Amino acid sequence: MKQYYFIRLSVLMLLSGLFLLSSCKKDLLDQKSTVGLPSAIYWQTEADATSALMGVYNAFRASFDRDYHFDGHAEFVKVYNTGAISPAPLVVNSPSNYGGSALETYKNLYGIITHANYVIENINLKMLPVAKTEAATRSLESIAGEARLLRGITYLRLISMWGDVPYVGKIVYNPIEVDTLSRMPIRKVKDSILADFTYAFEKLPLKNPVVSRPSKPAALAFRGKMQLFWASWNKFGWPELDKFTPSATEAEAAYRAAASDFKHVIQDYGLDLFRGGDPGQWGTMGSADVLPNYYYMFIPNPGNLNAGGEMLMVLPHGSGLTPVQGDEYQRVFTGPLNGLGQNQVIPRYELANRYQSTITGDFLPPLVQIQPNVAGARTAPNSAINPESYRDRDYRMKATMLWDYEKLMGQGEIDQTSYVNFLYKTFSGKSVINGVEYPNFTDNGTNFSGYQFRKFVRNYGGLARSNGDFNWPVMRLADVFLMYAEATNAVDGPQADAIALVNRVRRRGNLPPLAGSKISSPAAFFSAIEQERIVELVGEGQRAFDLRRWRALERVFGAPYGDGKWFMDTHGNNWERFFQNAPELTYQRCYIYQIPESERTRNSNLTQNIPWR
Amino acid sequence: MCFIAVLSAAEVFQASASLTHSALFFQQDPTSQEGKVVDSEGVPLPGVEVRVVGSAAVAVTNGSGQFVIKAKRGDLLKFHMLGYVDVEKVVELKFITVTLSSSSQNLNELVVVGYGTQKKVNLTGAVASIKVDDQLTSRALPNVSSALQGMLPGLAVNQTSGMAGNNSATLLIRGLGTVNDANPLIVVDGMPDVNINRINMNDVESVSVLKDAASAAVYGSRGANGVILITTKSGKGAQGTKISASASSTIQKPTNAFEFLPNYAKALTVTQRAQAVGSVPASINFKNGTIDEWFAKSMIDPLRYPNTDWWDIITRNGQLNNYNVSATGGNEKSNFYLSVGAMDEKGIQIENDFKRYNALFSYDAKIKKNISTGVRFSGNWSNYRYNYEEGFTANGSSGLDIFTAPAGVTPYDPVTGYYGGAMAYGESILASNPYVDYINRNKNNVERQEAMGNIYIEYNPLPGLKGRIDYNLNYGSQFTWRADIPSKAYNFQLGQFNNRAYVGDNERIYNADRNNYKTQLTAKVNYDKVIAKNHEFNLMAAYSEEFWKIRNLSANRENRFHPLLHELDAALGSVNITNNGNSSTEGMRSYIGRLNYSAFNKYLFEVNFRADGSSRFIKGAQYGFFPSGAVGWRFTEESFIKPFAQKIGLTNGKFRASYGSLGNNNGIGLYEQQEVLTNTNYVASSLNGSVVNQIAVPGFQNRKLINTNLTWEKTTMFNLGLDMAFFANRLTTEFDYYDRLTTGMIRPGDLSILLAAALSPAPRRNLGDLRNRGVEANITWKENRGGFGYMLNLNASYNRTILEKWPEFLNRSAVFIDMPYNFVYAYQSSGIAQTWEDVYNAPIQGAAPGDILLKDLNGDGRVDHNDQVAYPNFQTQRPTTNFALRGNLSWKGFDLGFMLQGATGRKDYYNNNMTNTRITQATNQAINWNQYLNTWTVDNRAAALPRLTSGTAAAPFTANQSTFWLDDVTYLRLKNLQLGYTFNKPYMKKIGLSSVRIYGSADNLATITNYRGLDPEKVSYSNDVYPLSKLFVLGLNVEL
Repeated sequence: MKQYYFIRLSVLMLLSGLFLLSSCKKDLLDQKSTVGLPSAIYWQTEADATSALMGVYNAFRASFDRDYHFDGHAEFVKVYNTGAISPAPLVVNSPSNYGGSALETYKNLYGIITHANYVIENINLKMLPVAKTEAATRSLESIAGEARLLRGITYLRLISMWGDVPYVGKIVYNPIEVDTLSRMPIRKVKDSILADFTYAFEKLPLKNPVVSRPSKPAALAFRGKMQLFWASWNKFGWPELDKFTPSATEAEAAYRAAASDFKHVIQDYGLDLFRGGDPGQWGTMGSADVLPNYYYMFIPNPGNLNAGGEMLMVLPHGSGLTPVQGDEYQRVFTGPLNGLGQNQVIPRYELANRYQSTITGDFLPPLVQIQPNVAGARTAPNSAINPESYRDRDYRMKATMLWDYEKLMGQGEIDQTSYVNFLYKTFSGKSVINGVEYPNFTDNGTNFSGYQFRKFVRNYGGLARSNGDFNWPVMRLADVFLMYAEATNAVDGPQADAIALVNRVRRRGNLPPLAGSKISSPAAFFSAIEQERIVELVGEGQRAFDLRRWRALERVFGAPYGDGKWFMDTHGNNWERFFQNAPELTYQRCYIYQIPESERTRNSNLTQNIPWR
Repeated sequence: MCFIAVLSAAEVFQASASLTHSALFFQQDPTSQEGKVVDSEGVPLPGVEVRVVGSAAVAVTNGSGQFVIKAKRGDLLKFHMLGYVDVEKVVELKFITVTLSSSSQNLNELVVVGYGTQKKVNLTGAVASIKVDDQLTSRALPNVSSALQGMLPGLAVNQTSGMAGNNSATLLIRGLGTVNDANPLIVVDGMPDVNINRINMNDVESVSVLKDAASAAVYGSRGANGVILITTKSGKGAQGTKISASASSTIQKPTNAFEFLPNYAKALTVTQRAQAVGSVPASINFKNGTIDEWFAKSMIDPLRYPNTDWWDIITRNGQLNNYNVSATGGNEKSNFYLSVGAMDEKGIQIENDFKRYNALFSYDAKIKKNISTGVRFSGNWSNYRYNYEEGFTANGSSGLDIFTAPAGVTPYDPVTGYYGGAMAYGESILASNPYVDYINRNKNNVERQEAMGNIYIEYNPLPGLKGRIDYNLNYGSQFTWRADIPSKAYNFQLGQFNNRAYVGDNERIYNADRNNYKTQLTAKVNYDKVIAKNHEFNLMAAYSEEFWKIRNLSANRENRFHPLLHELDAALGSVNITNNGNSSTEGMRSYIGRLNYSAFNKYLFEVNFRADGSSRFIKGAQYGFFPSGAVGWRFTEESFIKPFAQKIGLTNGKFRASYGSLGNNNGIGLYEQQEVLTNTNYVASSLNGSVVNQIAVPGFQNRKLINTNLTWEKTTMFNLGLDMAFFANRLTTEFDYYDRLTTGMIRPGDLSILLAAALSPAPRRNLGDLRNRGVEANITWKENRGGFGYMLNLNASYNRTILEKWPEFLNRSAVFIDMPYNFVYAYQSSGIAQTWEDVYNAPIQGAAPGDILLKDLNGDGRVDHNDQVAYPNFQTQRPTTNFALRGNLSWKGFDLGFMLQGATGRKDYYNNNMTNTRITQATNQAINWNQYLNTWTVDNRAAALPRLTSGTAAAPFTANQSTFWLDDVTYLRLKNLQLGYTFNKPYMKKIGLSSVRIYGSADNLATITNYRGLDPEKVSYSNDVYPLSKLFVLGLNVEL
């Protein structure tokens, strides 16, 4: 009896124990993150590949949508990196001292490469081999092509700043691998970049319905740009880059290759300049209700719709998205009364004289700088503070900048207010103009030139300063036109098709075609091309790269141990001077950046660039 | 005659021993003495040796404590049992009952250890334990962690604040074990991860602290920082029903205070003096006229010229009221414990309240002869209101409101209903009004409920064999809300609002909901066996599964309908709303084993292990194995030592040694080791007619680089102990030495910058080594003489922490190899410069008379960080030595208790915002008496503090880390003093009460210290003004 009882109990216990044990979790030690997506279940569908590509874009945008910062390294734009946001983690407020400050830039650029490699390698290894249809293969290759385009652009940025750089072309699983990487000679990196661009060109669609995703011409334009840069370094030399021997033949071949790519971009895809390249309406002096077409290319609405395809590649931003993906151009390009801007990017006084006459098509006599308390200062002919001095100039001037008594739509935090009047050094209170009262533009204490940007500043309210929805240009057709002209001119001198393209760019400013003297020689035509690059691409971060590849720093800022260059304002005051008594080393340190020393302490194979040793 | 299910091997042994003597029972004759031996609680004592003095006759009590021995009338019987005081009795030849009183509860006492209990006498690990008594529960303790202070050697308990709802103490066992989370594991009734501060002190029966590897090994990867086991009361062993009730009321007063200068005119002279150092008179913010005007008019017009004493306005007398009712009862078949408690705490700061309600119910029943089962349910519910998490100000650069509040601001004008703002000419409109800050702004509310349930079933199929399954559920729910009330600053002089909104009109409603639960299933088997009489085995094996889940949901809305509403629906739901939600889970699977073996009651052996699998690590690296072993030698049981031991009064002595390893997985996040992608959305831009559409598209980045080698931090510990009892166990001593080495501390790794941007955070690595060595002593004297009983306990511990390995680059700082973690690293001060001559004679450091001068130790002509001196024996964060002396005595119903507690081995800089002489901003500054009275001037050269200066200076002499500010934080504190009286007279029975105790108790009454900071017990930050509290309690305990 007792025995049975004992057995019964044992069975009971066993059952209840088993029940409890079986009710518990088998996958107890396999707890999945509820927010992060496990990478193991990724790479199944095209949508996975696309979202991974968007991850690359996300990193890419952070490094390329603030390229205006690089204009602080050239002579026409002042850039502050103070204020609430200084996203470019390098010194931008001095054109003579920045090459040693770009550790974060270097790091972030390699961040893009890591993300791009992740997409490229996974598509190649995990998806393409199992792609079921031709169409699937094509679209996967197209996605890989976009990732390779982004990787190529990033390496182009890296080599144009640092010369030889370590090359990472695959996913790094063991971090030790990169701790022993040597710098790859620039020629080899260039070849890899070209291979990326070529792949992208082959695989990208003719025209992507999504404006913010590039198509064939973008890849081709970048391949051309790579060739153009390679040609420039070979033609002009790069003495700061150790073991780089320029070669004239190499240069010529590269110029021709560049020209060929640009030509295809221009001819093969039916692309046209924004609004057909028409100048549009200049409007009236002192008002901003009607502005030239060039202005609208740089505001979202009605803005760079890309109808003609001028924007070959853009970085999109969105308002009201979570997480916030807005642009901050309103915040950096204008002042507090215009959407609480912090006014961190200011056109220099020296830019104004670059805007040519719509009548002569040539430069005008330099503006006369004058103090406003001088009698008649505001009415004197050609006075920098007489608005009339700005009449009949390149339409792009009105679209790009504000001079005294030019107006700009005001904005509170988001709401549109009223037109704000710009009057240099009168940065508070109100002005009464023709019986109408306008608040004066507030400069946030940063304007010492006498001009303000209009380019990139919206003329309507509704979006907060960090919430813009502008598509930042990474490559646009006008740049391709000018690069084509530069490439052909370098090897064959001024060519009719190149001149015509430059004239198409000039037409946007309502400027007449180039006069004969401007196309009489390769040098004269080069100057005309440089001039167009200055005014057409101002604020887009191109100038500093141009100056370096052309080895033009001394031409612009003066020779070593010289007076350097003073920057001034419309009133004739000196603002700031750079390169005064600067030794060669200062220039050399602009021509090539410093390899981050912190990285060299971990990687003994990493050599330093000559000026930084 | 059959075996009785027994709980421990010892009893099995005794039971079988009784059999061997059973033959005696059947040979009774008239000259036999029969009787029964019981302990002080009436429980029969088996195995007591009964001897006729002067003869060879001997007997041993059987399982029911009974004995028969041949004896003649008039013979003297001696009753002896280890752990009990010997008793002599004259033979009466009728049945006698002899009561043996325990010589020391410590010896036969059962100590709660991991997954079981052990006799204290058989312990080989380092376990400190206390039983919670009336004296402890009578203290005005808002939480259990504070109650452990001074009770247990090796457990450092430090009170960090007196704030209601946030006054728990930090617990550290045997020093800082890791630079990651070094908190011990708290286990309540077998359930880990219970918040010690939400338990009702009155429900706690005992607390054990597992300090070494051998005792904590059964907690494996969770036990590296030691384990605190809390056992709550139950009805086990209860006979009949008992109801007790208690109530107490406490008044709290700060031990120290912020000495605010409630005189605006005087305060302005302080900022004037500070500014005069670097500014010409014209650019000093406050003019003499302003000061004179304020001085004069404040006497007649306090609304427009206030001299507000902010400290007075924002503080009050704290209160702490405690009410408890509990009932316990039981019989052979079942027992229960039921308790409810309420605590109502009002902090010394206005708008800081904490209310907590606790309930506990447990019920055990024997459902069959060898099956028992039980349930336990406990719950708590709290309402908590506060402004800043740390009290008066936040630990950071924001929330400095008390320091930016000048006396010249009117708190509130009841006539107009306006809150004051800056008024004086030159005063910044950013001046704070702390009254608004606490009444209308920063209004944080936390409502939290927790419920814990446990069921178990236990089965004894065979003698000595026991199986048990436990299932626990621990559930918590927390709702946090904040809805500040819009308020503006009013200038009563101008009769208009300043341009300053303390809280904007559009202030949001914030709601956050969080719930968490944890489940645990434990299956355990115990087997006790005695082989060949003298070989006692105890085997325990357990399997456990733990699962955690936390879910968060939060949202906020702007545009509320009325300032007093605080739920989300009371605001517009369409614009400017945000919401967030996430959840996380964790799992752990453990296999646990323990074998105890004791030979001849002298040689004790124990081996333990635990294997833990944690979901935090990747497959293949999930399991960690943590073994340990211990040996003990009760040398007083050896015949060759016994005579000597008896000579010196040593009644019991034991050596212990243990060695083993433990783990810690707290250094790594739940999903850090998983390859998951990070969501990084992007925008797709497309054309829709003439409009550009920007829509978000999903994006993912792989930001993970997994360190596949990552594993637990591992701690190995060696422990050596000596336990002794002297003079019939009146004196007991315990000494311990330990050496604890933590290796592979989990630290953030670093990566090449080629990878660092994309793969972030860098994978963690097992990097640093930290060693703790220390000694502990626990000495108790306990005696009862007639109606007079007293106890004295001295416990002390010394710990030294050394950082042995740290592969990351270390700058010169208070963290360095072969030094304690956060050692004192100080500039050497030569005092305050009295004259320019002093300045010129000192190394160049940009000082002026009135400034602190620093020494140039390396003689390089300048004072820089190379002139700092390291003090290897002092740390800034922790004392090396903690000690406490406790005593109590009872006489005829009176009981008196005291506790002195102290610490030494810590030095810290006492300078903070109260003593800071650098007035960083001239306006909106709160000024204190120290700055007004005790700062150096030519007329006050003996001042304790340097001269007032302004602005931010970078010279080293302004650094806080100099010996000028360095104080030895040694202290001795009268932690508790208590007096009680118990009415336990027959007449109480008549009115239906079995006993009534009234008592008064005071905490933190007096402190001896040279430390000039806020409180020597706290580790504070520079703008910390929250003192500890003095607590005065009156209370009443009633038993029915």
